[in-house]
Amino acid sequence: MRSVNNLDLLVVGGGPAGLSGALEAARSGLSVLLVDEAVSTGGQLIKQTHKFFGNEGFFASVRGYEIADRLNEELNSFENARILTEHSVIAIYPDGVPVVDMKRDTTEVLMPKKILLASGASEKFLQFENNDLPGVYGAGAVQTLMNQFGILPGTNVLMIGSGNIGLIVSYQLMQAGAEVKAIIEASDKIGGYQVHADKVKRLGIPVNLRHTISRAIGKDSVKGAVVSELDERWRPIPGTEREFVVDTICIAVGLSPSIELAAQAGCVIEYIQELGGYVPLRNDDMRTSVPDLFVAGDVSGIEEATTAMIEGRIAGLTIVEDLTGRCDQEKLNYLKETLRKFRSGPSSSKTRSGIRKLGGKVEEASFSERIECDFDSYKGKLRPIIECFEPIPCNPCETSCPVGAIRVGENINSIPTIDYSRCTGCSICATKCPGLAIFMFRENKDGTSSIGIPYEFLPLPVKGQYVSALGRNGEVICTAEVERVARSPNKTNLVYIIVPSEVAQGVRNIFVPSQEAETIVCRCEEVTVDQIRKAIKDGYKDFEELRRYLRISMGPCGGRTCRLNTLMILSRETGVPVEELAPGIFRPPSMPVSFKAIAETGVDDSEE
Amino acid sequence: MIVKSRYKVVVIGGGVIGTAVAFYLAKNGVSDVVVLEKDYLSSGSTGRCGGGIRQQWSERMNVRLAMRSVEHFKRFESEVGFDIEYFQGGYLLLAYTEEEVLLFERNTKMQQEENLDVELLSKNEASSRFSFIDMSGVRAAAYCSSDGHANPHLTTFAYARAAERMGVEVLTHTSAEKIITEDGRIVAVQTSKGKIETEVVVNAAGGYSHEVGAMAGVELPTESYRHQIFVTEPLEHIMDPLVISFENNFYIRQTKAGNFIMGQGDKDELPGHNVTPTWKFLREMTEKMPKFFPFLRDVRVLRHWAGLYNMSPDAQPIIDRAVDIDNFYYAIGFSGHGFMLAPAVGEAVAEWIVHGEPRSVDISNLSLNRFQEGFTIEKNVV
Repeated sequence: MRSVNNLDLLVVGGGPAGLSGALEAARSGLSVLLVDEAVSTGGQLIKQTHKFFGNEGFFASVRGYEIADRLNEELNSFENARILTEHSVIAIYPDGVPVVDMKRDTTEVLMPKKILLASGASEKFLQFENNDLPGVYGAGAVQTLMNQFGILPGTNVLMIGSGNIGLIVSYQLMQAGAEVKAIIEASDKIGGYQVHADKVKRLGIPVNLRHTISRAIGKDSVKGAVVSELDERWRPIPGTEREFVVDTICIAVGLSPSIELAAQAGCVIEYIQELGGYVPLRNDDMRTSVPDLFVAGDVSGIEEATTAMIEGRIAGLTIVEDLTGRCDQEKLNYLKETLRKFRSGPSSSKTRSGIRKLGGKVEEASFSERIECDFDSYKGKLRPIIECFEPIPCNPCETSCPVGAIRVGENINSIPTIDYSRCTGCSICATKCPGLAIFMFRENKDGTSSIGIPYEFLPLPVKGQYVSALGRNGEVICTAEVERVARSPNKTNLVYIIVPSEVAQGVRNIFVPSQEAETIVCRCEEVTVDQIRKAIKDGYKDFEELRRYLRISMGPCGGRTCRLNTLMILSRETGVPVEELAPGIFRPPSMPVSFKAIAETGVDDSEE
Repeated sequence: MIVKSRYKVVVIGGGVIGTAVAFYLAKNGVSDVVVLEKDYLSSGSTGRCGGGIRQQWSERMNVRLAMRSVEHFKRFESEVGFDIEYFQGGYLLLAYTEEEVLLFERNTKMQQEENLDVELLSKNEASSRFSFIDMSGVRAAAYCSSDGHANPHLTTFAYARAAERMGVEVLTHTSAEKIITEDGRIVAVQTSKGKIETEVVVNAAGGYSHEVGAMAGVELPTESYRHQIFVTEPLEHIMDPLVISFENNFYIRQTKAGNFIMGQGDKDELPGHNVTPTWKFLREMTEKMPKFFPFLRDVRVLRHWAGLYNMSPDAQPIIDRAVDIDNFYYAIGFSGHGFMLAPAVGEAVAEWIVHGEPRSVDISNLSLNRFQEGFTIEKNVV
């Protein structure tokens, strides 16, 4: 077996990040091979028929597929760059990087000097009864079928999730002629941009907040879906079940980075919730802990196409410097500066927090989130945050305050103001507020914050118990320990939880683990939530032990669907924050490969 | 962190040997035992092995020990309380050379003397009974129907959970860091989570047996070698026996779930603790195996990994008590066949600790001092 020795850069994944990185390297004369599993490069860009937001210097207001065309065209113009579609890098071994030709079922082995992993992300999966029926799709698959191959996955669709992807794909389904029956959303707010939401509303698609899918109906394929309203305890309210006659259920509940190759190659990975899950550690040059391995785009943290392209270019330029000693420092600095600016706004606060955890530098541009102006002057003091921004006739906060620190004023419709110098932190207002809009807050000395959440559900958590801390949209922010529970005669109890200060501003609710149905977590091996729970109770408290005991992630998907969900269950059951759990081993190959394909490995003669 | 700072027995290693020793200690009335596992249960050699349970060995002592283990495996579910996917589908050893035929003839004769249900098959007999194998080049085969295989993870979990029910403590993510001796006896083990005083220490550290011996100042003649293995997607059940060819350097079995699991040895391996799998291995195996099992050609590989064979000089286990430190026991150097011997070894070591001598099986030939004299090497190793 001979190996290809003179390849400078192997780029894994031809999305915006991979294409941009490949381009920077190709422009500097490096030999570049870009490998992508799809029939054409462009990644998710190909599927985006909407116009992009962002920075005008980076294709803003150009449609996604047109961006892909431009990048592809430029890369193809270089003689020193080559694109291999329908190929997959299946492992990064110390003695070679095997690439499978997925069409011919053969492999070749490469020995690149540098690797840029731009493998993107995979979709998060949702657990409900019959979720393995044909007709249940991820939003990405629907986009691929519909926008890339011109195949409509179905005629009547139920969309699960009202984030930007859910909203955009719903819009696109309508454009393509399908009927989106409803968008359902478990939390109480629409997740995506208002403009996207307005777009689908204009098309007459109802957005059902605080609804969940409890099961899919059908024997051989989806014939319908049962949706129920959720009560304040996140449980379906009996009697609110509603059946939708649909042939397609589309799941759009978020993405997690596809780090399999990075992890298997030995990159140090860490669980960073704000970046979508496990990500490889990397510096601001996008270099991982394995010096010759770089990452860019969603694999380094879920964000969007503009930042993916910038990250790809930064990685590409750094690789050029590594291999040639030449570096366009001006360009590199400009890219880093652009990236910092892009991320300085309010909608990037999660990304900023995630990157800070990676040790990266980010800046926040000044914007005001709250009306309290002197809230920050009383750091370390237990005090309320009043999130009452809508004028309504209501003033129990004012009337209940024993020291007269809260003022609504003569007009009961006014928004309350608070004088923190007089506040004693008694928290009565928080238990009195009918809108549950007052939260107690204190920054602790150890980098955590205590948040008192008005909580009117049963069962009440107890001191020391671990719960999920939820954000304003009901999204899980982190695992949190219950510091204390202050019971109140009016049954608006205050549950104080401890969370890291950097996420505290986003935490506004808790999720107390409760019973789920007999739903499947690992589809390959058909392992249910209850089986996992029971195993944890029986003493299997490590992902690898659970894997070996229940066969979780031993199937063809290698854990893409079930690893993170299993870890979340493990975290909830054991109280160990998910970021402290061992994520388990990532074993090659990253996708099933036939004996034939491996045994008939060829060599890439054109690179010899 | 540690619940107690004193245990009668400390077992180092949460693989199948360590948990079996703990199980049999508790069964023999000593449950004041802690098992220390630096990672998670079955994370070392046990959880990486092929899972075969074979009695066809070239050395008489190995045959006896394995036969004793099979007695235990047969009643495992009632004795330990767990379905470990034990399946007596036999072992089929293929002979490709005249030398192998002679060796198999000699071995089966010796094994039959030990009352093992082994038979020597002609090529035709083998072909008609195992039609899924391409028998080109085969001259004869040895077949023992009471050999078989089981799931090594479940076996380890079974021993650990049963031992816990009897009062044994299993501490995962807890490593032994130092063994403290006073006047020629071990008095305590320093762990990553605190110090544990103890009367007896058992070295069941598998791939790290040499290093654990050194903690007590005992030089053990074991070293570890990487062995690679991989598993395919599941297929309908077609393969009862575990099939081995020493000449062609492979073993293969089908698991209860239907996956095929297979591996080979590599003579060029250097001793060490490297368990990173290589492309070379996968390439060689995928090229080789379909020649013998043509149906594999279109089957897909799911996962590929490596584990350590903890080799002794004669490829047979070392089960002994240290001469200079008489409360230090070791069950080590299993040379790639520790899983299948675990029940008999666990039982013997526990009896030795509790009753002063192994009662159920004679293990005197497995003492460390055998290497000072002449010794014969176990040949039936892949």
